Amino acid sequence: MSNLLKKLFGTLLQKPWETERAAIDNAHEGKTFDISVQKSAVIIIFGIATVLFSLIFTSYLYTLPPGQDTQYLLRPNLLWINTLTLFFVTYFFNKVTNDLKKKDTLKVKRNLLIIGGLTYLFLFGQIIFWFQLLKSGNYVSTNSYFANFYVFTALHGLHLLGGLFFWGKVSSRVLKLEQNKILEEEKNISALSLYWTYLLIVWLMFFLMIYIFNDAFVAWCKSLIS
Amino acid sequence: MSDEYENKKGYQAQSSESISSGGGGSGTVSDADYVRPAEIPEQDLYHGHSFITKWVFCQDAKVIGVQYFLLATFTGIIGLILSWLMRLQLGFPEAAGFMTAEHYYQFVTMHGMIMVVYFLTALFLGGFGNYLIPLMVGARDMVFPYLNMVSFWMFFIAVVVLLASFFVPGGPTGAGWTLYPPQTILEGTPGSGMGILLMCISLILFVAGFTMGGLNYLITVLQARTRGMTLMRMPLTVWGIFTATVLAMLAFPALLVGALMMTLDKVLGTSFFMPTILQAGEVLEYGGGSPILFQHLFWFFGHPEVYIVALPAFGIISDLISVHSRKNIFGYRMMVWAIVGIGALSFFVWAHHMYVSGMNPWFGFFFATTTLIIAIPTAMKVYNWVLTLWRGNIRLNVVMLWCLGFIITFVNGGITGIFLGNVSVDVPLSDTYFVIAHFHMVMGIAPLMVIMGAVYHWFPLVAGRFLDETLGKWHFWLTFLGAYSIYFPMHYLGFIGVPRRYFEMYDSPYVTSAVGMNEFISMAAFIVGAAQFILIFNIIKTLKIGKPAGHNPWQANSLEWLTPTVPPEHGNWGEKLPVVHRWPYDFSVPGAKEDFITQTTPPSEVAETEVEKT
Repeated sequence: MSNLLKKLFGTLLQKPWETERAAIDNAHEGKTFDISVQKSAVIIIFGIATVLFSLIFTSYLYTLPPGQDTQYLLRPNLLWINTLTLFFVTYFFNKVTNDLKKKDTLKVKRNLLIIGGLTYLFLFGQIIFWFQLLKSGNYVSTNSYFANFYVFTALHGLHLLGGLFFWGKVSSRVLKLEQNKILEEEKNISALSLYWTYLLIVWLMFFLMIYIFNDAFVAWCKSLIS
Repeated sequence: MSDEYENKKGYQAQSSESISSGGGGSGTVSDADYVRPAEIPEQDLYHGHSFITKWVFCQDAKVIGVQYFLLATFTGIIGLILSWLMRLQLGFPEAAGFMTAEHYYQFVTMHGMIMVVYFLTALFLGGFGNYLIPLMVGARDMVFPYLNMVSFWMFFIAVVVLLASFFVPGGPTGAGWTLYPPQTILEGTPGSGMGILLMCISLILFVAGFTMGGLNYLITVLQARTRGMTLMRMPLTVWGIFTATVLAMLAFPALLVGALMMTLDKVLGTSFFMPTILQAGEVLEYGGGSPILFQHLFWFFGHPEVYIVALPAFGIISDLISVHSRKNIFGYRMMVWAIVGIGALSFFVWAHHMYVSGMNPWFGFFFATTTLIIAIPTAMKVYNWVLTLWRGNIRLNVVMLWCLGFIITFVNGGITGIFLGNVSVDVPLSDTYFVIAHFHMVMGIAPLMVIMGAVYHWFPLVAGRFLDETLGKWHFWLTFLGAYSIYFPMHYLGFIGVPRRYFEMYDSPYVTSAVGMNEFISMAAFIVGAAQFILIFNIIKTLKIGKPAGHNPWQANSLEWLTPTVPPEHGNWGEKLPVVHRWPYDFSVPGAKEDFITQTTPPSEVAETEVEKT
């Protein structure tokens, strides 16, 4: 981060009209950061998605009035298993990165398929949980606690579906390619890995928040003090 | 993906530095002219062959830019017609018998939303951004051309959905362009059924489409510039569009969340923005939501939106002034800092739109302070434009007229902004015509003047022909004088307390002085609106019989004028990418043969000049 700020302020202080500066600038290769365009895209999407999810978090905190029934979400439930599944996805992405380094292309192919499978499993798990919620009478219009929960999980799921689209493109290419060509996909795979890790972090933040910032938890804390 | 990046060291791309330097002439490159070999491979572009792939579903950023421009202009004309209808009602209500109060509210709402989002934003970022970014940074195209094409078509669908709301039962929403809940979705508000739903869907589509385009603009600027093009050698136009895109990428999610939650409130009965409501003695099923939350979301988008429009305008006007006064831009670094500073500050001022919504007085104090602080970098820019003109070799052509018109109008609108930024002054002026006058001057007319200046400036590049100067002067003077005839009196109307968004003035004490003025304003509005069609006529005439412009007709320095063909073809640069040796503002350099040195001119060709003394 400090490097980035140094680079940013260093850039803004340049005097492009000076002869000495021109000699340095003429040797500039044209790009700002030494990363691929794919990774640049993922990082920018992080920025946008962070604002999006932060606003939903804010809306959740802003509109959560006391006395809402939040008990259903707080009991042990499928969400914990789904969270674990998402952890596994990140774990397998880490494995793929290592496999690429070791040039073990067979494992790259296998682990990529596992990643896709687990992500679909996560999404399937989320939908099942929605059905469980609906069955228990907690609809999107029941209260703002559940409304925010549904909206957040829907948007998070949509982001994962977007990731799965690109996962599908990369995986189908990797599965068809010969061994030596697979390594050329490293930049795409590392961009995907970064994206999934980000979505895991966002999910964990939300997961933590629905357990901490709710009426029942606040009441429980108060009971501890009193 | 056809645009994959590979960092192959030693890759020798085709570029102009491999040819002999101008000064040497011996087939070798002099030390001063040396540039490093290219490390970014050629972009693999998809060239369309049929009419459909070349002009409809086209991946060339320039064609997409023109498509954005035309569609945004089309929606802008609809917005203009709506404003005529509003002015007809306000000035000559007896002639507008066909119009009910509901119609009037719907026209006000659609005019506002169309002009801010679908006209100005789309035109500056989608139109100018697409056309100019790749050309000005020396790229062949945007980094993701396919995504860029999808971005335009998402915008197209968004416009279709928006305009479809005119034809659904109940018509478009009439809740005001700010779409404040709860009244927006409650019965009794015009268009509270399908109208508001289509508006929300259209906004969601617009944001999704813009995100695809914005991703392209940012990565192209950051990662796909040609050799020698450092960030601080970029024209201010690119800085303006780039920073505005960053703002848009961070601000539009707020609009998306607001529109999405409002859609859910309307369709699924959630209560994000809906408190407990008693309607006609009956308690509605809503409850627990906050209308103020929507206001925060809306203005967290809405205020940066002002700068999403203004920053590209600032950048473009800087370049136009520099080229047409034959002087380097005064304080280039300061101009860049001001653009970045204004962009950053714009996220800390949103609640100055909510002084009358009820907030802690300390918040009012905070937002008033940040609002006034933003005037500092803005004033810096104004001083620098004036100082660029100072003792310049000014060409008083149509482009320059629009530039001068912009500076005056922007200062006018900016000063009234300082009035409204103060809580104690804003409260009595809130929701009066003073506010209408302020924001139309600062983010309606001023950016429009930049658009017009830019059209007259870059039309020779797009079409290879000059627009007619005489028609251009008629267009300018009618617009300039007409716009002041509309908005100066509106300040007075605001001071005497005439409220905005009122269908009629009723029998109130100020009605006598407001009636005559309203008639005058309406007449001026009809004339100014009609004057815009001079440009359309001028464009059609020029395309048929216009004077050919040739290469670099304004003797500019920036790369867009240095393409091998005019208009530039797909891929922009022929076989060899340009190599940049200097910033784009070397005008009137002492010792130089001509009064401009292009960005691609190697140092050896201008060795005798005193560049630093410009």
